Amino acid sequence: MNAIQIKNITKRYKDVTALDDVSFSIEAGKIYGFLGRNGAGKSTLINIISNRIFADEGEVLVDGIAAKENMAVHDKLFCMSEADLYDGDLKVKEHFKWTGRFYDGFDLDRALDLSRKFNLNINKRFRALSKGYQSIFKLIIALSLNVPYVIFDEPVLGLDANHRELFYRLILDAFENGGRTFIIATHLIEEVANIIEEVVFIDDGKIILQESVEKLLEAGYSVSGMAGEVDRYCQGRNVIGCDMLGNLKIAYVLGEKAALPQGSHLQITAINLQKLFIKMSEKGGVENE
Amino acid sequence: MNKLKAAVSYEYLTKLKAVGIFYIIEYLCVAFILSIVAISTGGKEIGSNVLEVSSIIFVSVVGVLGYKEDFKALLQNGYPRKYIFGATICMFALLSGTMAFIDTIIGNVLHHFYRTYFTLFGSLYGYGNLFANWLWLTVLYLMFGSLFYLAVLVIHRAGKMQSLFIGIGISGVILIGFSVFRFVLPDEIVRSVAVFVIRVMGFMSDGTTNLIFPVLSFLVIGAVFESISYAVIRRTEL
Repeated sequence: MNAIQIKNITKRYKDVTALDDVSFSIEAGKIYGFLGRNGAGKSTLINIISNRIFADEGEVLVDGIAAKENMAVHDKLFCMSEADLYDGDLKVKEHFKWTGRFYDGFDLDRALDLSRKFNLNINKRFRALSKGYQSIFKLIIALSLNVPYVIFDEPVLGLDANHRELFYRLILDAFENGGRTFIIATHLIEEVANIIEEVVFIDDGKIILQESVEKLLEAGYSVSGMAGEVDRYCQGRNVIGCDMLGNLKIAYVLGEKAALPQGSHLQITAINLQKLFIKMSEKGGVENE
Repeated sequence: MNKLKAAVSYEYLTKLKAVGIFYIIEYLCVAFILSIVAISTGGKEIGSNVLEVSSIIFVSVVGVLGYKEDFKALLQNGYPRKYIFGATICMFALLSGTMAFIDTIIGNVLHHFYRTYFTLFGSLYGYGNLFANWLWLTVLYLMFGSLFYLAVLVIHRAGKMQSLFIGIGISGVILIGFSVFRFVLPDEIVRSVAVFVIRVMGFMSDGTTNLIFPVLSFLVIGAVFESISYAVIRRTEL
Protein backbone atom coordinates (compact mmCIF):
# COMPACT_ATOMS: atom_id res chain seq x y z
CA MET A 1 0.00 0.00 0.00
CA ASN A 2 1.45 3.39 -0.99
CA ALA A 3 0.77 5.46 2.06
CA ILE A 4 2.00 6.46 5.47
CA GLN A 5 -0.23 4.74 7.99
CA ILE A 6 -0.25 6.04 11.53
CA LYS A 7 -1.77 3.43 13.78
CA ASN A 8 -2.86 4.11 17.36
CA ILE A 9 0.13 6.28 18.21
CA THR A 10 0.38 7.39 21.83
CA LYS A 11 3.25 9.41 23.25
CA ARG A 12 3.54 10.54 26.85
CA TYR A 13 6.04 12.86 28.54
CA LYS A 14 5.80 12.21 32.28
CA ASP A 15 2.21 13.27 33.05
CA VAL A 16 1.56 14.98 29.69
CA THR A 17 0.00 13.00 26.84
CA ALA A 18 1.43 14.59 23.70
CA LEU A 19 -0.36 12.20 21.34
CA ASP A 20 -3.38 10.19 22.34
CA ASP A 21 -4.19 7.12 20.26
CA VAL A 22 -3.71 8.92 16.94
CA SER A 23 -4.63 7.01 13.78
CA PHE A 24 -4.88 8.23 10.19
CA SER A 25 -3.37 7.67 6.76
CA ILE A 26 -1.41 9.88 4.39
CA GLU A 27 -2.03 8.79 0.83
CA ALA A 28 0.70 8.93 -1.80
CA GLY A 29 0.68 11.72 -4.37
CA LYS A 30 -0.94 14.53 -2.39
CA ILE A 31 0.12 17.71 -0.60
CA TYR A 32 -0.95 17.63 3.04
CA GLY A 33 -1.19 20.46 5.51
CA PHE A 34 -0.49 19.51 9.09
CA LEU A 35 -2.16 22.18 11.16
CA GLY A 36 -2.34 22.67 14.87
CA ARG A 37 -1.59 25.20 17.57
CA ASN A 38 1.71 25.34 19.42
CA GLY A 39 2.07 22.21 21.53
CA ALA A 40 -0.78 20.44 19.73
CA GLY A 41 1.48 17.48 18.92
CA LYS A 42 2.46 18.16 15.28
CA SER A 43 6.21 18.04 15.79
CA THR A 44 5.93 15.05 18.12
CA LEU A 45 4.06 13.14 15.42
CA ILE A 46 6.52 14.23 12.71
CA ASN A 47 9.42 13.14 14.91
CA ILE A 48 7.81 9.73 15.44
CA ILE A 49 7.15 9.30 11.69
CA SER A 50 10.80 10.15 10.94
CA ASN A 51 12.13 7.82 13.68
CA ARG A 52 13.64 10.61 15.77
CA ILE A 53 11.61 9.79 18.82
CA PHE A 54 9.66 6.65 19.72
CA ALA A 55 5.98 6.17 20.32
CA ASP A 56 4.94 4.58 23.60
CA GLU A 57 2.23 2.68 21.75
CA GLY A 58 1.25 2.12 18.14
CA GLU A 59 3.26 2.06 14.94
CA VAL A 60 3.95 3.96 11.74
CA LEU A 61 4.07 2.14 8.40
CA VAL A 62 5.59 3.67 5.28
CA ASP A 63 4.36 1.83 2.19
CA GLY A 64 3.56 -1.07 4.49
CA ILE A 65 7.04 -1.10 6.08
CA ALA A 66 7.48 -0.36 9.77
CA ALA A 67 9.21 3.02 10.04
CA LYS A 68 10.80 2.47 13.45
CA GLU A 69 14.54 1.77 13.18
CA ASN A 70 14.24 0.47 9.63
CA MET A 71 16.84 1.23 6.96
CA ALA A 72 14.33 0.14 4.30
CA VAL A 73 12.48 3.41 4.93
CA HIS A 74 15.63 5.53 4.45
CA ASP A 75 15.11 6.20 0.73
CA LYS A 76 11.35 6.62 1.07
CA LEU A 77 11.03 9.45 3.52
CA PHE A 78 12.84 12.69 4.35
CA CYS A 79 11.99 15.14 7.08
CA MET A 80 13.11 18.76 6.93
CA SER A 81 12.98 19.74 10.56
CA GLU A 82 12.66 23.04 12.30
CA ALA A 83 15.49 22.04 14.64
CA ASP A 84 19.05 22.45 13.37
CA LEU A 85 20.50 18.96 13.19
CA TYR A 86 23.23 19.71 10.67
CA ASP A 87 26.90 20.08 11.55
CA GLY A 88 27.43 23.83 11.86
CA ASP A 89 31.10 23.62 10.91
CA LEU A 90 30.50 22.15 7.46
CA LYS A 91 30.03 24.37 4.43
CA VAL A 92 26.76 24.28 2.48
CA LYS A 93 28.48 22.64 -0.52
CA GLU A 94 29.98 20.00 1.77
CA HIS A 95 26.51 19.24 3.16
CA PHE A 96 25.26 18.85 -0.43
CA LYS A 97 28.11 16.44 -1.13
CA TRP A 98 27.35 14.34 1.95
CA THR A 99 23.60 14.31 1.29
CA GLY A 100 24.45 12.93 -2.15
CA ARG A 101 26.38 10.14 -0.46
CA PHE A 102 23.57 9.39 1.99
CA TYR A 103 20.72 9.38 -0.54
CA ASP A 104 20.64 7.81 -3.99
CA GLY A 105 17.94 10.24 -5.07
CA PHE A 106 19.75 13.51 -4.31
CA ASP A 107 20.00 15.81 -7.33
CA LEU A 108 23.13 17.92 -6.80
CA ASP A 109 22.57 20.01 -9.93
CA ARG A 110 19.10 20.91 -8.73
CA ALA A 111 20.48 21.82 -5.30
CA LEU A 112 23.06 24.13 -6.90
CA ASP A 113 20.41 25.63 -9.19
CA LEU A 114 18.08 26.27 -6.24
CA SER A 115 20.96 27.79 -4.28
CA ARG A 116 21.40 30.31 -7.09
CA LYS A 117 17.66 31.05 -7.16
CA PHE A 118 17.60 31.65 -3.40
CA ASN A 119 20.98 33.47 -3.44
CA LEU A 120 22.39 30.97 -0.97
CA ASN A 121 26.18 31.18 -0.66
CA ILE A 122 27.30 27.55 -0.83
CA ASN A 123 30.78 28.42 0.44
CA LYS A 124 29.44 29.55 3.81
CA ARG A 125 29.40 27.31 6.83
CA PHE A 126 25.95 26.28 8.07
CA ARG A 127 26.62 28.03 11.39
CA ALA A 128 27.41 31.31 9.61
CA LEU A 129 24.07 31.42 7.78
CA SER A 130 21.25 33.60 9.06
CA LYS A 131 18.16 31.82 10.46
CA GLY A 132 16.35 32.46 7.20
CA TYR A 133 19.15 31.06 5.08
CA GLN A 134 19.48 28.04 7.37
CA SER A 135 15.82 27.35 6.58
CA ILE A 136 16.50 27.91 2.88
CA PHE A 137 19.42 25.47 3.00
CA LYS A 138 17.19 22.82 4.58
CA LEU A 139 14.43 23.49 2.04
CA ILE A 140 16.88 23.12 -0.85
CA ILE A 141 18.04 19.74 0.47
CA ALA A 142 14.44 18.56 0.81
CA LEU A 143 13.41 19.86 -2.62
CA SER A 144 16.44 18.26 -4.29
CA LEU A 145 15.75 14.83 -2.86
CA ASN A 146 13.77 12.47 -4.98
CA VAL A 147 12.09 10.47 -2.21
CA PRO A 148 8.36 9.60 -2.24
CA TYR A 149 7.49 11.32 1.07
CA VAL A 150 8.88 14.70 2.12
CA ILE A 151 7.89 16.30 5.42
CA PHE A 152 8.44 20.00 6.07
CA ASP A 153 8.24 21.11 9.69
CA GLU A 154 7.70 24.89 9.74
CA PRO A 155 9.48 25.28 6.38
CA VAL A 156 9.32 29.05 5.95
CA LEU A 157 10.63 30.04 9.38
CA GLY A 158 12.60 33.28 8.97
CA LEU A 159 12.02 33.53 5.21
CA ASP A 160 11.02 36.84 3.65
CA ALA A 161 7.87 37.11 1.50
CA ASN A 162 9.76 36.66 -1.79
CA HIS A 163 11.51 33.52 -0.64
CA ARG A 164 8.27 32.13 0.77
CA GLU A 165 6.57 32.67 -2.59
CA LEU A 166 9.50 31.01 -4.36
CA PHE A 167 9.29 28.02 -2.01
CA TYR A 168 5.56 27.56 -2.60
CA ARG A 169 6.11 27.77 -6.37
CA LEU A 170 8.95 25.24 -6.20
CA ILE A 171 6.96 22.82 -4.11
CA LEU A 172 4.12 22.92 -6.64
CA ASP A 173 6.61 22.38 -9.49
CA ALA A 174 8.17 19.45 -7.65
CA PHE A 175 4.74 18.02 -6.98
CA GLU A 176 3.62 18.34 -10.60
CA ASN A 177 6.84 16.88 -11.96
CA GLY A 178 7.35 14.07 -9.49
CA GLY A 179 3.96 13.19 -8.07
CA ARG A 180 5.52 12.94 -4.64
CA THR A 181 3.78 13.37 -1.30
CA PHE A 182 4.51 16.53 0.62
CA ILE A 183 3.48 17.13 4.21
CA ILE A 184 3.72 20.72 5.39
CA ALA A 185 3.39 21.50 9.09
CA THR A 186 2.97 25.23 9.50
CA HIS A 187 1.27 28.03 11.37
CA LEU A 188 0.94 30.16 8.23
CA ILE A 189 -2.33 28.58 7.16
CA GLU A 190 -3.46 31.18 4.65
CA GLU A 191 -0.14 30.95 2.81
CA VAL A 192 -0.40 27.20 2.30
CA ALA A 193 -4.17 27.12 1.82
CA ASN A 194 -3.81 27.39 -1.94
CA ILE A 195 -1.29 24.61 -2.33
CA ILE A 196 -2.44 21.91 0.09
CA GLU A 197 -5.02 19.37 -0.99
CA GLU A 198 -5.81 17.83 2.34
CA VAL A 199 -5.63 19.09 5.90
CA VAL A 200 -4.99 17.22 9.11
CA PHE A 201 -5.99 19.24 12.19
CA ILE A 202 -4.27 18.22 15.40
CA ASP A 203 -5.39 19.57 18.74
CA ASP A 204 -4.39 18.44 22.21
CA GLY A 205 -2.67 15.36 20.84
CA LYS A 206 -5.72 14.20 18.89
CA ILE A 207 -6.70 14.37 15.24
CA ILE A 208 -9.81 16.48 15.21
CA LEU A 209 -10.26 16.48 11.46
CA GLN A 210 -8.79 15.07 8.25
CA GLU A 211 -10.47 16.34 5.13
CA SER A 212 -9.74 17.66 1.65
CA VAL A 213 -9.45 21.44 1.57
CA GLU A 214 -12.07 21.61 -1.16
CA LYS A 215 -14.67 19.66 0.80
CA LEU A 216 -13.82 21.48 3.97
CA LEU A 217 -14.28 24.91 2.42
CA GLU A 218 -17.49 23.73 0.78
CA ALA A 219 -18.79 22.44 4.08
CA GLY A 220 -17.83 25.47 6.14
CA TYR A 221 -19.62 28.81 6.02
CA SER A 222 -20.41 31.74 8.23
CA VAL A 223 -23.81 33.22 9.03
CA SER A 224 -23.99 36.82 10.19
CA GLY A 225 -26.80 39.03 11.38
CA MET A 226 -28.66 39.97 14.52
CA ALA A 227 -27.80 37.64 17.36
CA GLY A 228 -31.29 36.24 17.90
CA GLU A 229 -31.84 35.55 14.22
CA VAL A 230 -28.44 33.86 13.92
CA ASP A 231 -29.16 31.71 16.98
CA ARG A 232 -32.48 30.59 15.53
CA TYR A 233 -30.81 29.68 12.22
CA CYS A 234 -28.04 27.77 13.99
CA GLN A 235 -30.33 25.57 16.06
CA GLY A 236 -29.58 21.93 15.28
CA ARG A 237 -26.53 22.80 13.16
CA ASN A 238 -22.85 22.06 13.78
CA VAL A 239 -21.64 25.46 14.98
CA ILE A 240 -17.88 25.45 15.49
CA GLY A 241 -17.54 28.98 16.78
CA CYS A 242 -18.98 32.47 17.03
CA ASP A 243 -17.85 36.10 17.07
CA MET A 244 -19.89 38.93 18.55
CA LEU A 245 -19.82 42.60 17.66
CA GLY A 246 -22.42 44.46 19.68
CA ASN A 247 -25.76 42.91 18.68
CA LEU A 248 -24.26 41.46 15.54
CA LYS A 249 -23.25 37.85 15.60
CA ILE A 250 -21.21 35.72 13.21
CA ALA A 251 -21.59 31.96 13.57
CA TYR A 252 -19.23 29.56 11.86
CA VAL A 253 -21.01 26.42 10.73
CA LEU A 254 -19.92 23.09 9.32
CA GLY A 255 -22.40 21.19 7.18
CA GLU A 256 -24.76 21.65 4.28
CA LYS A 257 -25.94 25.17 3.70
CA ALA A 258 -29.67 25.48 4.32
CA ALA A 259 -31.69 28.14 2.54
CA LEU A 260 -32.27 31.28 4.56
CA PRO A 261 -35.82 31.79 5.85
CA GLN A 262 -37.97 34.19 3.82
CA GLY A 263 -37.49 37.81 4.78
CA SER A 264 -34.34 36.94 6.65
CA HIS A 265 -31.70 39.60 7.14
CA LEU A 266 -28.99 37.01 7.61
CA GLN A 267 -26.00 36.81 5.34
CA ILE A 268 -24.14 33.64 4.38
CA THR A 269 -20.52 33.92 3.30
CA ALA A 270 -17.71 31.49 2.59
CA ILE A 271 -15.19 30.80 5.35
CA ASN A 272 -11.46 30.62 4.80
CA LEU A 273 -9.20 27.85 6.05
CA GLN A 274 -7.49 29.96 8.70
CA LYS A 275 -10.78 31.05 10.26
CA LEU A 276 -12.00 27.47 10.15
CA PHE A 277 -8.84 26.29 11.86
CA ILE A 278 -9.03 28.99 14.53
CA LYS A 279 -12.64 28.23 15.31
CA MET A 280 -12.11 24.48 15.36
CA SER A 281 -9.17 24.80 17.70
CA GLU A 282 -11.08 27.08 20.10
CA LYS A 283 -12.52 24.04 21.79
CA GLY A 284 -16.01 23.99 20.43
CA GLY A 285 -16.36 27.68 19.83
CA VAL A 286 -15.74 30.45 22.27
CA GLU A 287 -17.82 33.52 21.80
CA ASN A 288 -15.55 36.51 21.21
CA GLU A 289 -16.71 40.02 21.78
CA MET B 1 26.29 -1.52 2.96
CA ASN B 2 26.95 1.58 0.84
CA LYS B 3 24.84 3.63 3.24
CA LEU B 4 26.90 2.43 6.19
CA LYS B 5 30.09 3.20 4.27
CA ALA B 6 28.78 6.72 3.58
CA ALA B 7 28.01 7.21 7.29
CA VAL B 8 31.45 5.92 8.36
CA SER B 9 33.14 8.19 5.78
CA TYR B 10 31.11 11.15 7.02
CA GLU B 11 32.02 10.55 10.64
CA TYR B 12 35.69 9.86 9.89
CA LEU B 13 36.46 12.45 7.22
CA THR B 14 34.73 15.30 9.07
CA LYS B 15 37.10 14.62 12.03
CA LEU B 16 40.34 14.57 10.03
CA LYS B 17 40.64 18.35 9.90
CA ALA B 18 40.33 18.51 13.68
CA VAL B 19 42.99 15.78 13.96
CA GLY B 20 45.31 17.84 11.73
CA ILE B 21 44.76 20.97 13.83
CA PHE B 22 45.30 18.93 17.02
CA TYR B 23 48.68 17.62 15.85
CA ILE B 24 49.84 21.00 14.54
CA ILE B 25 49.06 22.64 17.89
CA GLU B 26 50.50 19.74 19.87
CA TYR B 27 53.79 19.64 18.00
CA LEU B 28 54.13 23.42 17.93
CA CYS B 29 53.84 23.32 21.74
CA VAL B 30 56.33 20.43 21.89
CA ALA B 31 58.77 22.28 19.62
CA PHE B 32 58.43 25.39 21.77
CA ILE B 33 59.00 23.48 25.02
CA LEU B 34 61.79 21.45 23.45
CA SER B 35 63.69 24.54 22.30
CA ILE B 36 63.38 26.26 25.70
CA VAL B 37 64.42 23.16 27.67
CA ALA B 38 67.12 22.23 25.17
CA ILE B 39 68.65 25.73 25.39
CA SER B 40 68.54 25.80 29.19
CA THR B 41 69.94 22.25 29.63
CA GLY B 42 72.41 22.34 26.80
CA GLY B 43 70.45 19.75 24.81
CA LYS B 44 70.46 17.09 27.55
CA GLU B 45 66.68 17.20 28.21
CA ILE B 46 63.70 17.84 25.94
CA GLY B 47 61.01 18.51 28.56
CA SER B 48 58.20 16.37 27.07
CA ASN B 49 57.27 12.73 27.34
CA VAL B 50 54.38 10.33 26.57
CA LEU B 51 52.61 12.68 24.17
CA GLU B 52 50.09 9.89 23.57
CA VAL B 53 48.24 11.12 26.67
CA SER B 54 47.17 14.18 24.64
CA SER B 55 45.83 11.84 21.97
CA ILE B 56 43.88 9.93 24.62
CA ILE B 57 42.27 13.22 25.68
CA PHE B 58 41.57 14.07 22.03
CA VAL B 59 39.88 10.73 21.23
CA SER B 60 37.85 11.12 24.43
CA VAL B 61 36.61 14.49 23.16
CA VAL B 62 35.82 12.84 19.81
CA GLY B 63 33.90 10.20 21.79
CA VAL B 64 31.71 12.97 23.19
CA LEU B 65 31.30 14.69 19.80
CA GLY B 66 30.56 11.31 18.21
CA TYR B 67 27.26 11.49 19.95
CA LYS B 68 26.52 15.20 20.07
CA GLU B 69 27.16 16.11 16.43
CA ASP B 70 27.06 12.94 14.38
CA PHE B 71 24.04 11.33 16.04
CA LYS B 72 21.91 14.36 15.18
CA ALA B 73 23.31 14.72 11.66
CA LEU B 74 22.81 11.06 10.78
CA LEU B 75 19.36 10.96 12.33
CA GLN B 76 18.48 13.98 10.17
CA ASN B 77 19.62 11.93 7.19
CA GLY B 78 17.31 9.04 7.99
CA TYR B 79 19.74 6.58 9.57
CA PRO B 80 18.43 4.12 12.15
CA ARG B 81 20.30 4.00 15.45
CA LYS B 82 22.01 0.67 14.83
CA TYR B 83 23.62 2.12 11.67
CA ILE B 84 24.61 5.29 13.54
CA PHE B 85 26.15 3.20 16.32
CA GLY B 86 27.99 0.97 13.82
CA ALA B 87 29.29 4.00 11.92
CA THR B 88 30.48 5.68 15.13
CA ILE B 89 32.39 2.62 16.34
CA CYS B 90 33.98 2.20 12.88
CA MET B 91 34.95 5.89 12.99
CA PHE B 92 36.52 5.42 16.45
CA ALA B 93 38.49 2.42 15.14
CA LEU B 94 39.69 4.28 12.03
CA LEU B 95 40.54 7.44 13.94
CA SER B 96 42.30 5.48 16.69
CA GLY B 97 44.29 3.59 14.07
CA THR B 98 45.26 6.80 12.28
CA MET B 99 46.30 8.62 15.44
CA ALA B 100 48.10 5.56 16.81
CA PHE B 101 50.03 5.37 13.53
CA ILE B 102 51.08 9.03 13.74
CA ASP B 103 51.95 8.74 17.44
CA THR B 104 53.92 5.52 16.91
CA ILE B 105 56.00 7.00 14.08
CA ILE B 106 56.62 10.39 15.68
CA GLY B 107 57.17 8.91 19.17
CA ASN B 108 59.75 6.44 17.93
CA VAL B 109 61.50 9.02 15.75
CA LEU B 110 61.69 11.41 18.72
CA HIS B 111 63.05 8.62 20.91
CA HIS B 112 65.59 7.71 18.24
CA PHE B 113 67.03 11.23 18.21
CA TYR B 114 66.43 12.09 21.86
CA ARG B 115 66.98 9.13 24.15
CA THR B 116 65.47 11.08 27.04
CA TYR B 117 62.09 11.10 25.29
CA PHE B 118 59.86 8.13 26.19
CA THR B 119 56.70 7.01 24.47
CA LEU B 120 53.86 5.53 26.53
CA PHE B 121 54.27 2.12 24.94
CA GLY B 122 58.09 2.26 24.98
CA SER B 123 58.25 3.16 28.66
CA LEU B 124 56.19 0.01 29.45
CA TYR B 125 57.30 -2.54 26.88
CA GLY B 126 60.44 -1.15 25.28
CA TYR B 127 61.15 -0.07 21.71
CA GLY B 128 61.62 -1.88 18.42
CA ASN B 129 58.25 -3.48 17.69
CA LEU B 130 56.45 -0.72 15.78
CA PHE B 131 53.47 -2.88 14.83
CA ALA B 132 52.81 -3.90 18.46
CA ASN B 133 53.22 -0.26 19.49
CA TRP B 134 50.63 0.83 16.89
CA LEU B 135 48.17 -1.97 17.74
CA TRP B 136 48.43 -1.37 21.49
CA LEU B 137 47.84 2.37 21.08
CA THR B 138 44.95 1.77 18.65
CA VAL B 139 42.99 -0.41 21.07
CA LEU B 140 43.84 1.91 23.97
CA TYR B 141 42.46 4.94 22.06
CA LEU B 142 39.43 2.92 20.95
CA MET B 143 38.72 1.98 24.55
CA PHE B 144 38.82 5.61 25.70
CA GLY B 145 36.70 6.79 22.76
CA SER B 146 34.11 4.13 23.62
CA LEU B 147 34.20 5.03 27.32
CA PHE B 148 33.44 8.71 26.69
CA TYR B 149 30.84 7.87 24.03
CA LEU B 150 29.07 5.78 26.66
CA ALA B 151 29.45 8.54 29.24
CA VAL B 152 27.83 11.19 27.05
CA LEU B 153 25.02 8.81 26.05
CA VAL B 154 24.27 8.11 29.70
CA ILE B 155 24.38 11.84 30.52
CA HIS B 156 21.95 12.59 27.67
CA ARG B 157 19.61 9.78 28.64
CA ALA B 158 19.67 10.27 32.38
CA GLY B 159 19.58 14.08 32.44
CA LYS B 160 21.92 16.44 34.27
CA MET B 161 20.90 15.79 37.87
CA GLN B 162 20.78 12.02 37.59
CA SER B 163 24.10 12.03 35.72
CA LEU B 164 25.61 14.06 38.53
CA PHE B 165 24.43 11.46 41.06
CA ILE B 166 25.72 8.64 38.85
CA GLY B 167 29.09 10.41 38.61
CA ILE B 168 29.26 10.92 42.36
CA GLY B 169 28.22 7.28 42.87
CA ILE B 170 30.91 5.94 40.54
CA SER B 171 33.58 8.17 42.13
CA GLY B 172 32.48 6.96 45.56
CA VAL B 173 32.62 3.32 44.53
CA ILE B 174 36.13 3.82 43.07
CA LEU B 175 37.38 5.57 46.23
CA ILE B 176 35.83 2.98 48.53
CA GLY B 177 37.15 0.21 46.27
CA PHE B 178 40.68 1.56 46.54
CA SER B 179 40.40 1.95 50.30
CA VAL B 180 39.06 -1.58 50.70
CA PHE B 181 41.76 -2.89 48.40
CA ARG B 182 44.49 -1.00 50.26
CA PHE B 183 43.44 -1.36 53.91
CA VAL B 184 40.72 -4.01 54.34
CA LEU B 185 41.44 -6.96 52.09
CA PRO B 186 44.05 -9.53 53.21
CA ASP B 187 47.51 -9.15 51.68
CA GLU B 188 47.14 -12.41 49.81
CA ILE B 189 44.06 -11.23 47.91
CA VAL B 190 45.66 -7.83 47.22
CA ARG B 191 48.74 -9.55 45.86
CA SER B 192 46.64 -11.90 43.68
CA VAL B 193 44.71 -8.95 42.21
CA ALA B 194 47.94 -7.04 41.58
CA VAL B 195 49.46 -10.07 39.85
CA PHE B 196 46.31 -10.45 37.74
CA VAL B 197 46.47 -6.81 36.65
CA ILE B 198 50.18 -7.18 35.85
CA ARG B 199 49.46 -10.27 33.72
CA VAL B 200 46.56 -8.48 32.00
CA MET B 201 49.02 -5.75 31.08
CA GLY B 202 51.21 -8.44 29.51
CA PHE B 203 54.03 -8.82 32.08
CA MET B 204 54.67 -12.53 32.55
CA SER B 205 56.12 -14.25 35.60
CA ASP B 206 59.27 -15.22 33.70
CA GLY B 207 60.06 -11.58 32.97
CA THR B 208 58.90 -11.65 29.35
CA THR B 209 56.06 -9.57 27.92
CA ASN B 210 53.03 -10.89 26.07
CA LEU B 211 51.35 -8.07 24.17
CA ILE B 212 48.32 -10.14 23.19
CA PHE B 213 46.99 -9.88 26.77
CA PRO B 214 46.82 -6.08 27.02
CA VAL B 215 45.51 -5.77 23.46
CA LEU B 216 42.78 -8.32 24.17
CA SER B 217 42.02 -6.73 27.54
CA PHE B 218 41.56 -3.26 26.04
CA LEU B 219 39.43 -4.75 23.28
CA VAL B 220 37.22 -6.59 25.77
CA ILE B 221 36.83 -3.53 28.02
CA GLY B 222 36.06 -1.41 24.93
CA ALA B 223 33.52 -4.01 23.76
CA VAL B 224 31.79 -3.86 27.16
CA PHE B 225 31.50 -0.05 26.90
CA GLU B 226 30.26 -0.38 23.31
CA SER B 227 27.66 -3.02 24.23
CA ILE B 228 26.25 -0.80 26.96
CA SER B 229 26.35 2.17 24.55
CA TYR B 230 24.35 0.19 22.01
CA ALA B 231 21.77 -0.73 24.63
CA VAL B 232 21.47 2.98 25.52
CA ILE B 233 21.47 4.43 21.98
CA ARG B 234 18.76 1.99 20.83
CA ARG B 235 16.40 3.84 23.14
CA THR B 236 17.85 7.31 22.72
CA GLU B 237 15.56 9.98 21.31
CA LEU B 238 16.50 13.23 19.67
